[in-house]
Amino acid sequence: MAMVKEPLLFARLPLGARRLLFGLVLFGICFLFAFPVLWLILTSLRLESGVYYVHRGTEFTLGNFAEVLQDERVVEAFANSALIATLATVFSLLVTVSSGYMLSRFQGPAARTWFGTIYVFRCVPYISWVLPLYFVAQSWGLYDTYTGLLLPHIAVHICFFSWLMKGFFDGIDPSMEYAALIDGCTRWGAFIRVALPSAVPAIAALGVLCWLFTWNEFLFALILTGNKVPVITVVMAQFVTEMGMRWNLMAATAVMALLPAFVLALFGQKYVIRGLRL
Amino acid sequence: MSSKTTGRPLFGEQQRFMLLLIAPAAVLLTLFQVVPIAIGANASFRDWALYNPKKTWVGLAHYQAVLSDPEFLWVVLPNTFIFMIVSVAGALVLGLALALLLNRPFAGQKLVQTVLLVPLMVAPVIAAIMMRWMFNDQFGIVNAVLEGLGLDGQPWLVERWTAFGVILMTDIWLWTPWYTLLLLAGLQSLPREPFEAAAIDGTSTWRVFTHLTLPMLRSVIVVCVVIRAIDAFRTFDIVWTLTGGGPGRSTELFSLYAYVLAFLSLDFGRGSAAAIIGGIIILVVGAVLYRVVDRLART
Repeated sequence: MAMVKEPLLFARLPLGARRLLFGLVLFGICFLFAFPVLWLILTSLRLESGVYYVHRGTEFTLGNFAEVLQDERVVEAFANSALIATLATVFSLLVTVSSGYMLSRFQGPAARTWFGTIYVFRCVPYISWVLPLYFVAQSWGLYDTYTGLLLPHIAVHICFFSWLMKGFFDGIDPSMEYAALIDGCTRWGAFIRVALPSAVPAIAALGVLCWLFTWNEFLFALILTGNKVPVITVVMAQFVTEMGMRWNLMAATAVMALLPAFVLALFGQKYVIRGLRL
Repeated sequence: MSSKTTGRPLFGEQQRFMLLLIAPAAVLLTLFQVVPIAIGANASFRDWALYNPKKTWVGLAHYQAVLSDPEFLWVVLPNTFIFMIVSVAGALVLGLALALLLNRPFAGQKLVQTVLLVPLMVAPVIAAIMMRWMFNDQFGIVNAVLEGLGLDGQPWLVERWTAFGVILMTDIWLWTPWYTLLLLAGLQSLPREPFEAAAIDGTSTWRVFTHLTLPMLRSVIVVCVVIRAIDAFRTFDIVWTLTGGGPGRSTELFSLYAYVLAFLSLDFGRGSAAAIIGGIIILVVGAVLYRVVDRLART
């Protein structure tokens, strides 16, 4: 545990040296954390010939991006991923906010049963239900369709997000809702007009997480889609095996797939940090 | 999660409202998890090849086959549990260290925080692709650096334990920020007074850490560990993209094993049996962990 021993050595050094050492350690850690992404970006900007001479490539180009974007399948995959992530976020928020509200405001057998169900299904490994879902999707005509990919993506977040949402609502004082009820508001009115507005930061946090999770998800699309609904993660994984040697193109695709997530996370970071206090 | 529950039911006997609130979630959960699991359970007792579903009853034959498969017993299960333990422990220790680092103010703290959270946004598939490129034995940067230092490059992804190490490293890299985020939030919500008192008494940093910080963070740590352990158990994408379970089948985890049986060996029945066995294992582990959380959260 270097973290712990450091202060002992640390304390004997003069202040300037201490600051310098601290800065260096910080820089080192940040560099190690960011390096894989930086290296990927660097690779995506290199000529194909430069990619294979790690320490020699000095020429840079945007050609890789242009070449990748000419591939219709890649463009389609980006559009599909964005569409499905957005729709899944909207619907899964609709579903989980109300379910989390129920968990938070009610007690008794119904709420306990629902909570138990959610915990159990949170634990079930994806593969245990996505594997047979392949057959379900085929017999319902949902295999390789947008709906067939979208619905499981909504279903998968029910458990975790209901749980998080319950935590958020637990932190909101229900007396305002009481007051609204006494004033003649319906229960739905109290939920939608009183409780929901105060949960907006939490909902925003869940929205950001949900979009990222769906955009990044791989296994569902691998099993539930064929050629008609390509999504970006699956297309990239196929690249690695099919055109595995063209790392500059691979890197360019990956960088483009990182971009929306980065933008979203940069703007959503403060909501997520605020919303995730357990 | 915080448990400041309100004590008594808020709206009295409002069954209808209650059920309407959970109805959409319950319907989706039934259609897309309960029904498939039932079908999978049914298939696991039948002769059900992917393209030739005869559906004749074979009883426990698939379960027997999986449980007596040396591949499953001596490679897949140990891999899965080693992966779960090392990944959770590694990311927890690193994440805690980084959270402690970020918890004190310094110039550029916000920037450092943003950089450290970067892996959180990276899709596991992309992370795996990056690592595969960095650890490429001919053109990868890691071997280039090693050779630059006068050491020998390694064929990282061609040998079992180095490949497994790269997989573990990728996973720890991916999930450390998650711990950092949650533990930092936890650290920032701790009361100040005990730490001030300790500072006045001149308590050493290490003692403050073991006697104050750790016990006070316990509930957050436990929740993180439970959630991550369960998720680590089902890891699929990074292994699939990094090694595809190879070399041979030596880095297969449980999810991959079930997938390979169902979609590459085209034996849906046996794949389902494997998926069910894994499901049961993790439910037991999950139940035990849940007990532990409950006990720790109460004390």
